[in-house]
Amino acid sequence: MALIAGLMFLVVCLVLLTGYPVAFTLAGIALLFGLGGAAAGAFPAGELLALPSRVFGIMTNETLIAVPLFVFMGVMLERSEIARELLEAMATLFGRRRGGLGITVVLVGALLAASTGIVGATVVTMGLLALPTMLRRGYDPGLSAGTICAAGTLGQVIPPSIMLVLLGDVIASAYQQAQASMGVFSMQTVSVGDLFVGALIPGLLTVAAYLLYLLFAAWRWPTAMPAVPDDERGETTGLVLISRLLPPLALIVAVLGSIMIGAATPTEAAAIGALGAMLLAAARGRLGRRELTAVTDQTARLTSMVFMILIGASLFSLVFSAYGGDRAVHDLLGNLPGGALGAMLVVMAAMFLLGFILDFIEITFVVVPIVAPALLAMGLDPIWLGVMMAINLQTSFLTPPFGFALFYLRGVAPASLETGAIYRGVVPFILIQLGMLGLLAAWPGLVTWLPGLVYR
Amino acid sequence: MRRLTRLVAGIDAVNNAIGRGVAWLTLAMVLADALVVGLRYGFGIGWTGLQESVTYMHAAVFLLATAYALNRDDHVRVDIFQRQWSPRRRALVDLLGSLCLLLPVAVVLAALSVGYVTDAWQRLETSAQPGGLPFVYLLKTLILVVAAQLAAAALARAGHCWLTLRGASTEAEPWH
Repeated sequence: MALIAGLMFLVVCLVLLTGYPVAFTLAGIALLFGLGGAAAGAFPAGELLALPSRVFGIMTNETLIAVPLFVFMGVMLERSEIARELLEAMATLFGRRRGGLGITVVLVGALLAASTGIVGATVVTMGLLALPTMLRRGYDPGLSAGTICAAGTLGQVIPPSIMLVLLGDVIASAYQQAQASMGVFSMQTVSVGDLFVGALIPGLLTVAAYLLYLLFAAWRWPTAMPAVPDDERGETTGLVLISRLLPPLALIVAVLGSIMIGAATPTEAAAIGALGAMLLAAARGRLGRRELTAVTDQTARLTSMVFMILIGASLFSLVFSAYGGDRAVHDLLGNLPGGALGAMLVVMAAMFLLGFILDFIEITFVVVPIVAPALLAMGLDPIWLGVMMAINLQTSFLTPPFGFALFYLRGVAPASLETGAIYRGVVPFILIQLGMLGLLAAWPGLVTWLPGLVYR
Repeated sequence: MRRLTRLVAGIDAVNNAIGRGVAWLTLAMVLADALVVGLRYGFGIGWTGLQESVTYMHAAVFLLATAYALNRDDHVRVDIFQRQWSPRRRALVDLLGSLCLLLPVAVVLAALSVGYVTDAWQRLETSAQPGGLPFVYLLKTLILVVAAQLAAAALARAGHCWLTLRGASTEAEPWH
C-alpha cells in the first residue's frame, strides 16, 4: 500500500516536469490514483468524500487570509514605484562608498522582499532596477548578479514574509498532530506570529553576514565594486532622501512591531500594512483607478495561484495518507541512524533537492505536512524547525544550476552577462547560507530565545 | 472550426469577467479588515459579521479568479524543460493536462460537493459564531461554482490547444 503512495509521488514529479500547472497536476494525479485504486479495490473510496470539507477548511482558514493582504501590500509598494524610489534614494546615500551599491541592494531587498515574499517577483524587480545600474558603474558582473539573487531571496526568511505565513500554518497543525500522537494532553501551540519572531534574529544575522561579505569584497577587490563618482550621483537633498526612506521603513516596522508586541495577529497587521501602502501611494498621487485595477488584479491572480496549489496539495495528501504514505515516512524517519539529527539531515537534504523543481509554496503544502509531524514527535522545537526549513529553501533557490532565483535573473539580465558569472557570483552567498544553517543547528537559541522572551 | 473558436472565446470571456470582477474584493478586504482592527483596538467593539465577510470575500477571490488566472497562465509551472519546447509541444502538454488532469478534478469535485452543498442549503446553514453571518450555505456553494468554472475552462483550454495544433488559431501561443 505504501508503495503505491511512493509511486504516486514519483508520478507527480515526472508529470510536473512536463510543465503542466503544479496545482492541477497534484490534484489530477492524486485523483487518478484514488479512483484507480478504488476501482481495483485497493483504495477506500470513501476517503475522497472528505474533499469538499477540506476545501471548505481552506476557504475559512483565518491565518491564511494574511496571504492576499500581504500580497496586496507588496504589489501596491511595487506598482506605486515606492520600491524604485527607495532603491534610488539608498543608492544616493551609500553610492559614494566602494561597494555602496551592493549594500543598497541587500538592504532594499531585505526591506521590500519582506512584504512580497514571492521569489520571482523580487528577483525580477531588483534585476530590472539595480542590475543595469551596477553594470554601468563598473561592478563585477558575477558579484552584481550574486548580490541581486541573494537579496531577492532574502525576503523569504525575513518577517513578515508569505513563506513564513504558509510555513507557520502548516507547522502549527503538524505540531498538534505530533503532540496528539505522543499522547500529550495539555497541548502547546505555535502560531505564525511565533515564527515571525523566531525568524527575526536569523534573518538579521543573514543580512549582516551578506553586508560583511560585501564590505570584505569591496576591500579585497576594489575594482570589482567601484564607488560612484560624485558628479554622477543625483542631486538629492537630505530632506528628499528622508521622505523616501522613512515611510516604507515605518510601514515595515509598524507591521512587524504590532505583531511582536502582541497587539495584532499577522492577518490584522497585514490589513493595516496594506492600508498603509495605499496611503503611501496616495501621498505620491499614485492611487488612481489605473493603479488600483492593476494591484487588485495581480493580487487576486497571485492569491488564486497560491490557494489552488494548497487545494491540489490537500487532495494529494488525502490520497497519500489513505495509501499509508504518511505512516511509512514516519516510520522511515523514526528508524534512521542518528535519531532526530539523522532524520533532520535527510529531510533537509530532500527539501533542498525538491527546491530545484518546486517553489516554496508547493514544498510547504506537500512535503512539510508529511515530514514535520514525524520530526516534531522526536522532540524538535517547532519554531526552530520552521526557520531552518525557510533558510534551507532560500539556499536551494540560490543554488546552481536549478535555483529558481537564477532562472528569474537570467530572464531579465542582458545577454552579455554570462550564466557562468551568475553561478560564480552566488557561491559566496550560498556558503553564507550554509554557515547560517550550521550556526542555528549549533545554537538553536538564536531562534528560540526571542519568541520565549516575547510570548512567555 | 469557427464555432469552436467562438465557443472557446465565449467561455474565456465569461471566466475572465468573473475573475476581474472579484479581484476588486481584495480592495474591500483590506478596507473591511482594517476597519475591524480599528474598531477593536480603538473602541473595543468586536464586529464578527464584518470579520466573517472578509473570510467570504477571501474565499470568493481565490476560487472565482482561478479560471481567470488559468487563462492568464498564472498558475505555477515547472518549466525547466518546457521553456525550450516548441509552441506545438507545449500545446500538446496543455491539451493532455486539461483533459486528463484538470477536467476530471473539476468534474469529481463537483460530483463530491453536490451532497455537501445541498445539505448546507437544506439546513440554511449559518455561522457557528454568535453574531456571525447566516450565509454559510452560500459560501459552500462557491465550491460548485468554481468546479463548473474550471470544467468549462478546461474544455476551453483544450479547444485553444487543439486549434493551435491544427494550425488554425491566429495566435502563435495557446495563451494570451
